[in-house]
Amino acid sequence: MAKVSMPKYNTVAIDPVTLDVIENALRNARYEMDAVLFRTAMSPGIREQHDEFPLICHPDGRMVVGQFGSYVDSFLSNYEGTIEQGDVFLTSDPYKVAGAISHANDWLVLVPIFRDADTLIGWSSMFGHMTDVGGKVPGSLPTDATSIFEEGIVIPPFKLYRKGELNSEALNLILNQVRLPIWNRSDLMAIVAACRTAEKRIIEMCQRFTLDIYLSALDLLLDRTYRAMVQLIQVHVPTEPQVFEDYIDDDGRGFGPYKISCRMWRDGDKAIFDWSETDPQSEGPINFYLNEHMFKMFVGIYLIMVYDPQILFNDGFYKVFDVRIPEGCLLKPRYPAALSCRTHGLGRIFDVLAGSLGKSAPQYWPGAGFSSSPHLMYSGYDKNGEWYQLYQIGFGGVPGRPHADGMDGHSMWPVFTNIPNEYLESYFPLLIEKYETVADSGGAGKNRGGNGIDIQYKFLEPGDVSIHDDRWLTYPWGIVGGKPARRGTKILTRVATGEKIILPSKCDNVHVQIGDTLNYITWGGGGWGDPFEREPERVIKDVKGGLVTLGAAEAEYGVIMDSETFELDAEATTAKRAALVEARGPIKSFDFGPPLAEILANCKAETGLEPPKPPQFAYRVGGFSLKAELAGTSPDE
Amino acid sequence: MAYRLGIDVGGTFTDLLLADEDTGQVFPVKTPSTPADPSVGVMLGIDKICQVAGISASKIDYLMHGTTVATNAVLEGKGAKVGLLVTDGYRQVLHIARSWTPGPLAGWLIMVKPDPLALLENTFEVDERLDARGNVVKPLNEAKLRESITKMVKNGVEAITVSLMNSYANGAHEERIRDILKEMYPDIPVSISSAILPEFREYERTQTAVMNSYVRPVVGRYMDGIASKLKERDMSTHVNILRSDGGLMTLQTAKEMPVYALVSGPAGGVAGALWVAKQSGYENILTLDMGGTSTDVALCLNGTPSLGRETMIGAQRYNTVRISSLDVRTVGAGGGSIAFVPELTKALRVGPQSAGADPGPACYGRGGTAPTVTDANVALGHLRPSLIGGEMKLDVEAATAAIKTVGDAMGLNTVAAAQGIIDIVNENMFGALRLVSVQQGYDPRDFALVAFGGAGPLHANALSKLMGSWPCIIPPSPGLLCALGDLSTNFRDEFARTFIRTVDKTTAEDVASALTELGQRARRWLDDEGIDEADQKVEYQVDVRYHRQGFELTVDIDAAQILEQGLGVLGQRFDDAHNRLYGFKLDTVHEIVNVRAIAIGTTSPIALPKLEVGGPDAGAAKTGENEVYFDGKQMKTGIYNRAQLKAGNQIAGPAIITEMDSTTVVLPDCYAEVDAIGSILIRPNN
Repeated sequence: MAKVSMPKYNTVAIDPVTLDVIENALRNARYEMDAVLFRTAMSPGIREQHDEFPLICHPDGRMVVGQFGSYVDSFLSNYEGTIEQGDVFLTSDPYKVAGAISHANDWLVLVPIFRDADTLIGWSSMFGHMTDVGGKVPGSLPTDATSIFEEGIVIPPFKLYRKGELNSEALNLILNQVRLPIWNRSDLMAIVAACRTAEKRIIEMCQRFTLDIYLSALDLLLDRTYRAMVQLIQVHVPTEPQVFEDYIDDDGRGFGPYKISCRMWRDGDKAIFDWSETDPQSEGPINFYLNEHMFKMFVGIYLIMVYDPQILFNDGFYKVFDVRIPEGCLLKPRYPAALSCRTHGLGRIFDVLAGSLGKSAPQYWPGAGFSSSPHLMYSGYDKNGEWYQLYQIGFGGVPGRPHADGMDGHSMWPVFTNIPNEYLESYFPLLIEKYETVADSGGAGKNRGGNGIDIQYKFLEPGDVSIHDDRWLTYPWGIVGGKPARRGTKILTRVATGEKIILPSKCDNVHVQIGDTLNYITWGGGGWGDPFEREPERVIKDVKGGLVTLGAAEAEYGVIMDSETFELDAEATTAKRAALVEARGPIKSFDFGPPLAEILANCKAETGLEPPKPPQFAYRVGGFSLKAELAGTSPDE
Repeated sequence: MAYRLGIDVGGTFTDLLLADEDTGQVFPVKTPSTPADPSVGVMLGIDKICQVAGISASKIDYLMHGTTVATNAVLEGKGAKVGLLVTDGYRQVLHIARSWTPGPLAGWLIMVKPDPLALLENTFEVDERLDARGNVVKPLNEAKLRESITKMVKNGVEAITVSLMNSYANGAHEERIRDILKEMYPDIPVSISSAILPEFREYERTQTAVMNSYVRPVVGRYMDGIASKLKERDMSTHVNILRSDGGLMTLQTAKEMPVYALVSGPAGGVAGALWVAKQSGYENILTLDMGGTSTDVALCLNGTPSLGRETMIGAQRYNTVRISSLDVRTVGAGGGSIAFVPELTKALRVGPQSAGADPGPACYGRGGTAPTVTDANVALGHLRPSLIGGEMKLDVEAATAAIKTVGDAMGLNTVAAAQGIIDIVNENMFGALRLVSVQQGYDPRDFALVAFGGAGPLHANALSKLMGSWPCIIPPSPGLLCALGDLSTNFRDEFARTFIRTVDKTTAEDVASALTELGQRARRWLDDEGIDEADQKVEYQVDVRYHRQGFELTVDIDAAQILEQGLGVLGQRFDDAHNRLYGFKLDTVHEIVNVRAIAIGTTSPIALPKLEVGGPDAGAAKTGENEVYFDGKQMKTGIYNRAQLKAGNQIAGPAIITEMDSTTVVLPDCYAEVDAIGSILIRPNN
């Protein structure tokens, strides 16, 4: 474990204006990190979609601004060397940072910030998703991998800069393993530049306010959030255990669905999240190495956003949470399990979290959302013999919320954005023929779930496509009477024959010809509240805008209108709604759609794909027999 | 003899400032605004100022004008009903936007997303397609287009935007559709995205072009009103509208591309405040422009206003367009803001509803009864019973009666209610000032506060106290500052071309000739504006980035330098700048994104007359003493006439300094000092 000595400082009283200035200056430094990155990075994933996460920490490693919480602690306990002024660390090994990054495509840069050689005053860090890190398929996320060795280069923590000196030989060695070295170099240097920007700002602040004031202010900010969180937990986490389960549909190798289960309760001042009923790790790449600190941050932020968004969040509240994840399960796989397709697990955690917290007070919580980051990869050589390679993140429906509808075709990841289609067309051999949300795909509700998106890609060069998606099988559930949303699907149309092929939700090496088209259709968000209570004017507005069809207005909402003028037939609507309410009976707190057995039985007919086989856990990883150790239960048992 | 006229139309008053080009002498005039048709107030002002200066209107060569017509339309959601034509498959381009949800994690939970400026029901698809190089993939289906247009117009749209995929590379389809629209419906204004913002990224381009349509009818009516009235008076004045970024453009351009002038009015105020602050030796300032309906704030560092690549109205992401502008933030808090007490919470709220200029606050005696911030100032004695050089008497009884309704609803006496209203409106402005300072990482204690607008000087001292921003500067004629800013602005316009070519696919000759061609256009514009050759200047820039980067850096370089040193010099200068800014450079090909010529016509400097120098004793300007309320306590307060103050005079607070168009309050624990040009600088006693 690497040793660092904490700076000596005196705790001093801070006037409220100074505290305010420091807090906002920190937040501003974090936005400046983003700005520097977007200006200098090259890959569309980082440049246009913002697949990156910045962080600024207290010298003791606690996050003061950022998103996912701090991993400095996990890093230090796994690193053996020295930490000195001018050092810049790089790693992409999830197993060496306790899952702070959860697949090898995320490159993490960590900069210790020193005022002078002896005084550590903080940390800045950022990780971003590299379009390619080598390995067996373009994009480095093989859907059929069974170990991390198939997923490209895995960089253990090392000094990219030692005392300010770039280790260019090591960097060249790394870049020699990847398909687009100039993108990785540019993106990596951009991340370093972003961290250096934060470093500069922190040093300036210590000069401007003195070290005593700066660090005392950080302590105050962390403590303030801690106190707020203690109260939130007392009120909103019940002592009675709440169990919530959801699924990852398949593992890319034909097995599934995999269960993710969370048991949550409060014991005194502590909220406990126990994952031991989650399925064991998969042989495929869908394992999601969940860092406990990161999960604490997820819970804290969700509570803050639902109950009191004015509270500023930081690492101050970690000690009020206890997170229990058994080793060898899907959320803490044993080395060297494959990890590359962890995005579905990462996303689904948020549905499970909303469900767990929502069990005792569903009216305050949304249904299932767009809980993944579906990817499209498209690569090959163009007619000039130049290599092209796209990695694109797709979006879908945000669930209906207690105060409003879910957004159609939006991101559930903070500040991510779509890639402008004009950007895609100017840098890749693509024509995007359609970019619109799918009417009726959001779950019906008093507040409607957002619609999924249909992107129609026309390929202008021969190449290979990979797809990473989920929720093609289980439904994005609705809450307090809201209906589940529609599932996603992928349709490839061959230009030569006109044949339409339903592609699996996770696949690699799909060869496409010039003129073939792909409809990449994502899933919607679950509805919130009783759809028969939705104001008819809102239903009419959706129909006029093409977001809900006339048929669905009648069948799902019981609203009847003139098909030309869209004028409401109030009488017919009242009658229709009364009949529909009668037929439905009482509303459900959670609506998951049909039971799993029925979903599996109808799978082929409804989705065009064979149902996945029940997962088999009796295989050996790292010399252990998991079946023997974990009494895992798959859904069919 | 030639004259230049600066005009600022506020919600309540219209301010005019006339400068003699030869002597620099200035004449101010103020008239009430006429919101129903603001050009009426403008013309009244012009008549009045010509009378004051003793000249005929035809002597005015240039009219420089900052307007808030567009800003207000957006803030109040009162723009046009916009129809939008897009490429097949892209009807939801504004609805999906960039799929962005706010941070932090789960920020989507509390996000509020308004309807797009062009509603989905008024958005229609066009059967056509261009590729990224501008080649036609699918020709324009005109028959189908005409059907869609008919349907759209039936919906009652008042302005139409055409924004097609890849039109930044080839505007032909958009231009053809514009011609068809002109033929079918000649009265509906049409904006095409390739003319407004020829940049790639379909959402941003569409949004910007739709915003243009959204404000176009209201701005057009206003500009036409001015033009026709000038014509009636046989004035051949060049009318120039202040752009959001502080440049100027012609009236015709402003009519067609009002999106470039979304925050035109506030930009004038910032320019004026900076001009005045520099005279007093301050280059780091916060500006506070408090008018009748709203307050604008901005920050200037080292004598330069913060400039952004975007224009954002009312801190609303979906009212953002990709047009550069001064970073001015607006809150709906002004002298006319109405105070009310909601039945449910019994809390005191102020604004954003405003009594406007008509009927105005209760104290104006024009039939208004709603209690406003101005009435609260009257009730406390901060505002004396006469405004505007005695032309307008304030009705103290009506003001007090109006404030009493608030006090009664809350169980407070009238003085406490009035003080409460002032405290709350100050808090709202404090919030806006924090946005541009603290929240950008600046410490407000390092800045002076410059306050103007009709109501600014009444509240300025209190805000300086809240912010710790000293001194608090009250410029001479604070109501006229925006007009002063308009007047001191240089002519400036940009002539740019999207180039987008890597350096290995072009030559020094190509780049040089593009620059030269743009430079010629810049010269022609300056000539058309009637700028003397001696006052003309053209600067050249090339935007460069590494191929596949998303943003560029600007290199200042002209055609001669490129021809002499070759294209390599662009890469070198870019690498140096990149290394300096971000700490690294890359060994990869450079891409030229835009080439640009900037035309600048310098205007002759104006000089405010120096004040006569006097000693610290301001006794000569004192007109009396009154009992005035501060923090609920009645205090003996000196009343001063600003016109009588001399440079070097000092006044101890509490004090009220009155002048033709505004009133300055000096708080009990502060003192004021008059500087050489007549600015009042307020500082705390300790």
